[in-house]
Amino acid sequence: MKLAPVDYVILATYFAMVLGIGWMLRKKVFTSGDFLTSGRAVPVWITSLAFIAANLGAQELIGMAASGAKYGIMTAHFYWIGAIPAMVFMGLFMMPFYYGSKARSVPEFLKMRFDEKTRGFNAFMFAVMTIFSSGISMYALGLLLHLVLGWNFTVSVLATAVIVLAYTYLGGLTSAIYNEVLQFFLIVAGFAPLAILSCAKAGGWHGIVSRLPSNMTHSWTHLGSTSQNPMGVEVFGVVAGLGFVLSFGYWCTNFLVVQRAMAADSMSAARRTPLIGAIPKMFLPFIVILPGIAAVALAQMAGAGGAHLYELPMKLGVGGVHVPDYDQVLTTLMGKFYPAGILGVGLTGLMASFMSGMAGNVTAFNTVFTYDIYQAYIRKGEPDRHYLKVGKMTTIVGVALSIGAAYLAGYYNNIMDILQFVFGVVNAPLFATFLLGMFWKRTTAHGAFTGLVTGTFGAVLLWCFTVAEGKGGVLGHLHTFPSTMAQNFWIAIVAFTTCFLVTILVTAFTPPRQESELEGLVYGLTKIRHEEGVKWYQRPVVLAVFVLVLAVILNIWFA
Amino acid sequence: MDLRVPSGWFFTLLGVILVGMGLFAPDARAALTDFNVNLYSGGAMLIFGVFLLVMARLAAGRSR
Repeated sequence: MKLAPVDYVILATYFAMVLGIGWMLRKKVFTSGDFLTSGRAVPVWITSLAFIAANLGAQELIGMAASGAKYGIMTAHFYWIGAIPAMVFMGLFMMPFYYGSKARSVPEFLKMRFDEKTRGFNAFMFAVMTIFSSGISMYALGLLLHLVLGWNFTVSVLATAVIVLAYTYLGGLTSAIYNEVLQFFLIVAGFAPLAILSCAKAGGWHGIVSRLPSNMTHSWTHLGSTSQNPMGVEVFGVVAGLGFVLSFGYWCTNFLVVQRAMAADSMSAARRTPLIGAIPKMFLPFIVILPGIAAVALAQMAGAGGAHLYELPMKLGVGGVHVPDYDQVLTTLMGKFYPAGILGVGLTGLMASFMSGMAGNVTAFNTVFTYDIYQAYIRKGEPDRHYLKVGKMTTIVGVALSIGAAYLAGYYNNIMDILQFVFGVVNAPLFATFLLGMFWKRTTAHGAFTGLVTGTFGAVLLWCFTVAEGKGGVLGHLHTFPSTMAQNFWIAIVAFTTCFLVTILVTAFTPPRQESELEGLVYGLTKIRHEEGVKWYQRPVVLAVFVLVLAVILNIWFA
Repeated sequence: MDLRVPSGWFFTLLGVILVGMGLFAPDARAALTDFNVNLYSGGAMLIFGVFLLVMARLAAGRSR
């Protein structure tokens, strides 16, 4: 793929833009709260779009097109089942506690509800996770730019990292959030034309359906047994594993996304953030997954000279066999459909997604490190000026560590498999802790901590003893899953259940806390203020019903 | 700062560049493109950019 001067102009304009936004916001940062939590003053349409943009990293974009080509429309389960219900639950039931408790982070909420050790465990796990997530995503993008455009890996990784650092350092969380919204628009502008063009070329949705096997174009019909669908999962695994445990764990307890909602300017706006975000989120599959599905159809259509319109990119797999390189589907499609000009916008969209993912990780990392590790364990009771400085320094350190993690990802692919798995399930047991903590006042701190630790390590242990697609089984081989997807779903279910049961068990043997101490933290002991003066369509319940009805329609449409 | 202002200008500028490409190089195509994709998507971005700027102007007028 070759870029024309106009493509570079578009890319440069965008870089100037994000730096400009950071530069303009720098004058608004006076306290550590301004820098790390946006001083709770961001308008709701901005927090809503940032809420979904922080999750829309480069890996997500590349990975969803790849999964579309590999698994078909079933990939949309990651949105319609694996995100929407959890976002609705978060807005309706969990946000009142997060926002109302005045906690500045998820670990800090755990400290208020439970105790210091639960917070410490979660803060530490989260800090490590954000650094490696952003490193792995950085590696993925650097590799892709190198493969597709021939850009130097080190230069492209360093250049984008420095720009992210510049605007987050200048304007803190506000700058990251504002840029995430711009990035979201750009991702849509850069990839919606690709979805339209590739789908039209393949004869529209009907043309795609007529060319692909039925299990690629139906999301529910073939979930009866694991052997019928390309993902190797069945209804229970999808609904309980992905739809309940994994997605609620991610969307309701991952500080990376929760932080965006907590930056809203009022309780009502904070509750509406995930609900409003759910609406564009529902339609993202048409932009990020559809091109991947269309690519498979195009690969079966005859073009000029007997060749196919499009060939799936290949790579050398295990044992010298060539296998499809699904990760390159998105960029090769861009090369086939985009002339200079829109190609620049698409490429800028890819860079933008990388930056929004990385900035999300970095801003969540610096908040958790500053408030939950530094202020809690290293130096307490300093003036706020000091923590603002630490927050800014942590931003630099966070970016540097992510770059290190990116190189580590390149050298030790196996370690990355384990880590990616751990990130996949680390929030699953945490959701059990929150569910019990927020809705059962009896839950004790010792119970929560023991449950969280056993759930997390139980999951890792299970991964070490089971195998799927040649992954896992480091310590032994007790069971084989039909796919890594099925393995992830089931381990998440086990981790959640373990944490849930152990927490209840230990709670039964440890003394409960005074009810008066739990006000504002537990359902039933908290007065949730009725939304007075809010228009009817701004009420969380109305929005939630609207969102759920839309999600059901989409699920039935593509069943 | 109203985010609609900088993003409005950004998309207006992108739209102008792409529409310009579409008008002056209407035959710029990739292997599988059947349309003048620069012209249409540039037009959409231009409309979106102007829409954001108008919204920002209206909001500024209200708060004054």
